[in-house]
Amino acid sequence: MKIPFKKKNTEKEALEKVLSKSNDYKNIHFTNEKTKVEFYLTFIASLTDEKIIHKEALPYLLHGELYNLDDVPELITIAETEISTNPKDIELKLFNGYVLVQVVGNEEQLCFFAAQREVGRSIGVPEVEFSVIGPKEAFVESMKQNLNLVRKRIPVKELVIEELTVGKISKTKVAIIYLEEITNQENINTVRQRLQDIDIDGVTDSSFIVQIISDNQNSPFPQLLDTERPDRVTASIIEGKVAIIVDGSPHALIGPTTLVELFSSFEDYFLNWIVSSFFRLIRLFAVTFSILVTPIYVATLSYHYELIPRDLLSALVASRRAIPFPPILEALFLELTIELLREAGARLPTKVGQTIGIVGGIVIGTASVEAGLTSNVLLIIIALAALASFTTPVYRMGNTIRLLRFPFLLFAELWGLVGIVLSFCIMLTHLIRLTSLGRPYLEPLYPPRRQDMKDALIRLSFKNQAKRPVFLRSKHPSRLDERDAKQKQDIDE
Amino acid sequence: MKWVHKILVIASIAFFLNGCVKKEILDDINLIEAIGFDYAGDGNTSGTILYPIYQPDQPPENKTLTAKALIKKSILQDIQLQAANPIVTGSMEAVLFAKELATKEGVLELIDAFQRDPGVGSGLYLAVVDGEARELMDGNYGVRGNATFISNLLENNIENEDLPKTNLQKFLFSYYQEGQTPFMPQLKKISDEKIELNGVCFFKHGKVVETISSDQMFFFRLLVDKYSNGLHRVKIKDGEAAVRSIRSTHNFDLSKRSPLEITVKIKVQGIVNEYTGNEVKPEQIKQLENAFGEEIKKQSQELVDIFKEQKIDPVGFGHFVKTRKRKYDLSKWLESDLKNLTVKVVPDVTITEAGVIE
Repeated sequence: MKIPFKKKNTEKEALEKVLSKSNDYKNIHFTNEKTKVEFYLTFIASLTDEKIIHKEALPYLLHGELYNLDDVPELITIAETEISTNPKDIELKLFNGYVLVQVVGNEEQLCFFAAQREVGRSIGVPEVEFSVIGPKEAFVESMKQNLNLVRKRIPVKELVIEELTVGKISKTKVAIIYLEEITNQENINTVRQRLQDIDIDGVTDSSFIVQIISDNQNSPFPQLLDTERPDRVTASIIEGKVAIIVDGSPHALIGPTTLVELFSSFEDYFLNWIVSSFFRLIRLFAVTFSILVTPIYVATLSYHYELIPRDLLSALVASRRAIPFPPILEALFLELTIELLREAGARLPTKVGQTIGIVGGIVIGTASVEAGLTSNVLLIIIALAALASFTTPVYRMGNTIRLLRFPFLLFAELWGLVGIVLSFCIMLTHLIRLTSLGRPYLEPLYPPRRQDMKDALIRLSFKNQAKRPVFLRSKHPSRLDERDAKQKQDIDE
Repeated sequence: MKWVHKILVIASIAFFLNGCVKKEILDDINLIEAIGFDYAGDGNTSGTILYPIYQPDQPPENKTLTAKALIKKSILQDIQLQAANPIVTGSMEAVLFAKELATKEGVLELIDAFQRDPGVGSGLYLAVVDGEARELMDGNYGVRGNATFISNLLENNIENEDLPKTNLQKFLFSYYQEGQTPFMPQLKKISDEKIELNGVCFFKHGKVVETISSDQMFFFRLLVDKYSNGLHRVKIKDGEAAVRSIRSTHNFDLSKRSPLEITVKIKVQGIVNEYTGNEVKPEQIKQLENAFGEEIKKQSQELVDIFKEQKIDPVGFGHFVKTRKRKYDLSKWLESDLKNLTVKVVPDVTITEAGVIE
């Protein structure tokens, strides 16, 4: 059913040339029964919903009073229609699931109507950032859905959703979301400019974006917070941050972020502030423990035997008595085993696989102790360190923690505690220099901002959260009208 | 510099400087837990080190190595000739000196080495052994090893009983302090599994000159330590009571300047632990308090007399006088001035509890 086009319509011709190789490209000729007007429907079958074409468009186009193309929007029962004369629109619209209507004799005029096929999973439960209490919705791959999840939580006109296209081939839609009256303009401009400047062929997930627009791409630390929780995105936007949602990715990005935020779970806000502060401190301790405990073991056993408490000496020496390796090899062996198990667990299809991996780790650990390859004290230490590293609420950060242990271990082996201090200094220098969208990464620890301590290592009550974080330089530093807030404080009036 | 270069520089520094640090892997060294010195005649000293061999699920095995040397500091080198692993001093708990050595040769030269070793903590216990140090270390005391036993024994007696606080730091402090002389606890081996703390030795110029028995230790502690506790038996007409001091303070006062007189106020709060009589009534308590006070006065006076006679000053009266008198010359303190000092002890005993017995 190939119909020769006029020479003028070169865009479509060129398109046709390539597209005719694909089976899902349809270009069908019809004739209206009443007016005998001939027209074509052009669409990509895999992107369009045939039901819409058959029920909402075709009957009216065939049996209605169709004289020319301007009648189409009035005839069909589809809201999203557009009439254009720009032939460049053809490719763009066709590949976004639109159907092109052309009337024979007047091919320059183009009419598009939307008939996208919505394929995708329904909204599910957050799996990476699961919380026992609080909302159970998580983002999905469809950006439309995701935007809906955010928009319905912030039903105000100030919420701006800007859309960009990133990727020469993938043409991925990326949305920047912020609050007009609140978010600092500089932050918005930074995000917009960095997204516009991206020069890449394909983007399939928001992780690509994180890595590309990070301030320092050579840093192991994530510089944008990624989350699958719409509630977290909403809270961040209201706080004055910028969110990025990428089509096809169930993870939204939030920036600017800080190091302490990467150790905070959104569940912290659902619990009482005392409880959640306690959990945050526990998590902080767990991270420090996880990074430092093995290096300290190696350092003390290799260099600083004086530091070991008298009562622990006998347990340590007795367990290491038959082991043929120096502490560093022993530690590396076990650390790598745990990493292998974790990696294997992550590749196994189900969550059960992960559990089996951990159990397997214990079994391997016990066996290696019995075989005299490692000491059981170290086995406990490594297992605890691995457990502690799982407490990191942001997965990306958890991976960083996993990695950080190894340079510390190496330096501990080289210079003992001095080496640990040295590598700590290197890490601290790096963190102090690091920025997220140009804002200091270590804030409020450095630069020290007392006001922002209210929601950093601990989380104070909502009464104390009246101010937006200072480092965001929000247009409205206060979350509420202060006069109102003060009036409401007196309960006995 | 590019970051790659920076990393390369750091990595190469790390690699090349690695050899500059001496590695001491825990299970490839011999940890000395205690060291003992004996008199070996002709100016020779013999040293014995005690190191444990740790075994899983068993008490550590106590091993000793002994060497004799004329130069005291070379003892460790000589012992090293017998050891398979390097000997390190970092986890030392106690240093023991045989009484014969401490009386004849003095301990200062030996202590000097520990004072200079950065690996040795200042909490190290020093003690004199009534007998031979080597013999004492050869025993088998407790499940945690001999050195731990010795240090726990001393620690426990300092914390809960009547041994005045003592360790390397205290010893050196009183040694270097003008107007004060050091002391050390004295241990004695009773059997192969028992050690006893049987007194305190007083030093002058690094040599033992006098020893008091463990009975007098309680009163010595009242004079030396600002806070002390311990148990003492008091006899009254109706029976005998064991009074445990739960809190005590002492207070020095230079009451007369010429001739010098120091008033020592000793305040003791105690409880009656045991009583052989029938009932402790307020009268008995009064009696106990008085009797105890008298005892403190008498015994302290006796101790001061011993100090005067031996020309030593472990309490630090001289130091106290210096803090109260401007430009006081301590150079003749021990030789002559101490003799002319009057020490008045004013006890103040309160018994707070006597137990409820119907």
